[in-house]
Amino acid sequence: MEKHPVIKTINGQKYFYRFTLDQRIQHVILFWAVITLVLTGMPLKFTSAAWAPYLYALFGGIKAAPVVHKIAGVILLLLFTYHVVYLIYNIYKEQIIPLKNKEGLNALKVLKVVATQPLVPNLKDAKDIGALMKYLLYLTNKRPDGDEFTWKEKFDYWAPFWGMVVIGLSGLIMWNKVLATKIVPGYVINFSLIAHSDEALLAALFLFIWHWYNVHFSTSVFPMGTVFITGYLSEELMVEDHYEYYVKVMKEAGLEHEILPPHGEHSHAPQTERRRPQEGGHA
Amino acid sequence: MLKKSINKNVPAFTLFLTLVFSLLPASISFAADVGNCLLCHKYPGLSRVDEKGKLRLLFINEDIFNTSVHAKVKCEGCHTDIQKIPHDPAKKVDCLSECHITEPSTEQKFSHKDVETSIVNSVHSKVDKNGVEKKFSEDIPTCKECHDEPLYRPMSFFKTIRSGISEEAMSRCKSCHKKDDFIFRFYSHVTSRLHRTKNPLNIAEMCGRCHDNAELVARHKLSTRAAFSYGETFHGKAARFLDERIPDCLDCHINKGESVHQILSSTDPKASINENNRGKICATTDCHPQASPRLAKYSVHAEFNLEQSPVQYFFTFFFIVLTGGTLLPLMGIIFLDLLRRLFPNAVIKRRK
Repeated sequence: MEKHPVIKTINGQKYFYRFTLDQRIQHVILFWAVITLVLTGMPLKFTSAAWAPYLYALFGGIKAAPVVHKIAGVILLLLFTYHVVYLIYNIYKEQIIPLKNKEGLNALKVLKVVATQPLVPNLKDAKDIGALMKYLLYLTNKRPDGDEFTWKEKFDYWAPFWGMVVIGLSGLIMWNKVLATKIVPGYVINFSLIAHSDEALLAALFLFIWHWYNVHFSTSVFPMGTVFITGYLSEELMVEDHYEYYVKVMKEAGLEHEILPPHGEHSHAPQTERRRPQEGGHA
Repeated sequence: MLKKSINKNVPAFTLFLTLVFSLLPASISFAADVGNCLLCHKYPGLSRVDEKGKLRLLFINEDIFNTSVHAKVKCEGCHTDIQKIPHDPAKKVDCLSECHITEPSTEQKFSHKDVETSIVNSVHSKVDKNGVEKKFSEDIPTCKECHDEPLYRPMSFFKTIRSGISEEAMSRCKSCHKKDDFIFRFYSHVTSRLHRTKNPLNIAEMCGRCHDNAELVARHKLSTRAAFSYGETFHGKAARFLDERIPDCLDCHINKGESVHQILSSTDPKASINENNRGKICATTDCHPQASPRLAKYSVHAEFNLEQSPVQYFFTFFFIVLTGGTLLPLMGIIFLDLLRRLFPNAVIKRRK
């Protein structure tokens, strides 16, 4: 914990700890595997496209590209398994065991722990979506006060989560078609192919449009968000997207007097001006 | 415009060629070209516009012809209607005519007549089981619909990249046989039959010329555009990337060991694709030897078509709705977000 303070100050700017090294490594493996899978999979989905043979040839054509695709698929499935174990282990060690020692366990309490995990969608997310729509339609100048993980991030987490189950299962069936059809009839492979390729297109478009827009291309972060490398998010983005959580963290750190006002608008110039007197005051 | 100018220039061009030819020394003699047909036909550009206004190329590429399966057949062997030179417009070649080659095992004049028997017994017969001519029999393919001469591909046991004759393989023949010309001809004869003359993509495209034609598919009440739906499977996609190990139409639609001309209707109890025989197709030694008959329940020719495959139609439809339902709202939000960032301070009702 001392190695990774919740709030780090570099050159007078505050940075907020968001992702552990373990999580960041998981994410890097995830995106390398996904990008490889998309590049080796899409030429097969769009076989008649003009670019398909060239892109496929880059991965060794019909003889090698399917092997590359399977290797990346196995890596992704291993990562998925690791992640689920990691998730259960951490919740068990850090929440269930202390709860057990403190007040004993029953099914309802365990369910409550699971339901209140920071990435589980809740009523606030629905409210935030409503508030965001109001903001985007110029009905208000106030952005929703995001919690530790906003609804966008929960979407980014659960969409690939469901995607990996669907694409992973259907991929395994098609790969091991002979074994699979010892149990299920052959037309299950038809459904596997549809699910695998259509869900993959959805996932690829989702990640490369929606996810990349939010974390890299939006004018607040362009040209690139760095939190996935450093694990730390700048105060400016904390205030913009996670205001509720920001206030909570600042209070816990005993920095109530340094809390910035919420961003109403997107303009960046007033922000820096707003920060300047505070930095002076701090010094 | 272009057609007109070709029309106008053809006689002049032909006259020019004739003059040039008459001045040239007699050409080198060719094995099969006894009638000296190549005297004229070896010139690229030799062409004419036929009665239908279609430009016909009459050029024979000697290199291709001399390595083709028909290299040893005289021109007059197939073009039987040509008696004198210069000749009148030639009729279409009938592949069933007896040509001037002796079949070595029976010492009879050679003909492709036996193939006709296979075709007549297959789904591609022009007549039905009672000998009555089928409806739309003019749609049924004839020899040249599939055999676009000559696609010569040698065996690739000894080399996998280069095309042409393998010297190493030829050397095995030479240890017993002496005459180079005979060895070459026999080698080509055997290898061109052991090796497929077309790759899986060529085969699928060939069948697709009729079987992907929506009009023909509807007229003959076929359930699928066959080459198209094959192209949607992994086999078809691999074929498009020029994989040669992948099964094409012929691998499933012909009983092992039968002539490729004997494609049977799925309703025929003897057909490989008949409901009762289908289970065996996938599990051949070269394909999926361990496969259970259930694997053959895979619908190769399923299309995104409510009438043909309703369950798959709705399954695909679900994913289309899921994709649209997820991406369109999100992209709408991105669009609104970009607009919002253009006018960050604009607001209808400002909150304090």
